[in-house]
Amino acid sequence: MAAVAAKYPELKELGVEVLAMSTDSRFTHKVWNEDELSKMVEGGVPFPMLSDQGGRIGTVYGVYDENAGVDIRGRFIIDPDGVIQAMEVLTPSVGRNPEELIRQLKAFQHVRATGGAEATPSGWQPGDTTLKPGPDLVGKVWEVWKP
Amino acid sequence: MVMARVGQEAPDFEASAYVAGEGFKNIKLSDYRGQWVVLCFYPGDYTFV
Repeated sequence: MAAVAAKYPELKELGVEVLAMSTDSRFTHKVWNEDELSKMVEGGVPFPMLSDQGGRIGTVYGVYDENAGVDIRGRFIIDPDGVIQAMEVLTPSVGRNPEELIRQLKAFQHVRATGGAEATPSGWQPGDTTLKPGPDLVGKVWEVWKP
Repeated sequence: MVMARVGQEAPDFEASAYVAGEGFKNIKLSDYRGQWVVLCFYPGDYTFV
């Protein structure tokens, strides 16, 4: 959580809101933020921390572990129409990479800005070549892009 | 039950939340329509990663 919080200014610049969620109560969220997270990131976690007690929401998102009674690490990118564009689910011991989150957000925002006329190849960063899917590109990707 | 899937509308929910500086409030995913949202589940407060 602290790693995402550290990237929050950049996410805000991209017009992105973050919602964090675990099966803890909102009271535990408050104490954790004040006790510990605020020592990792100045001011603590600046985005809402939601409570999913009982795992009702995690179940719908496919991340609730009934045996452990917790939501495992799941990250969903939701576009302005409310459509899920990406999901990444990890078991608890490995943390996420916020740099990759930001890369994906920029790529999805670019594709959306072009109305879907452009697609971004593997590892795309802003400024890199994009692909323009259509009949002319079939069998010719090699001419415009290499890994 | 409608499950979350890429390319499909995110299932709406309402949950109680803690927001630093604001206190406790209820938050609905659909309140954020019109902007990009990153929804992050994590295993629990006071865990290590």
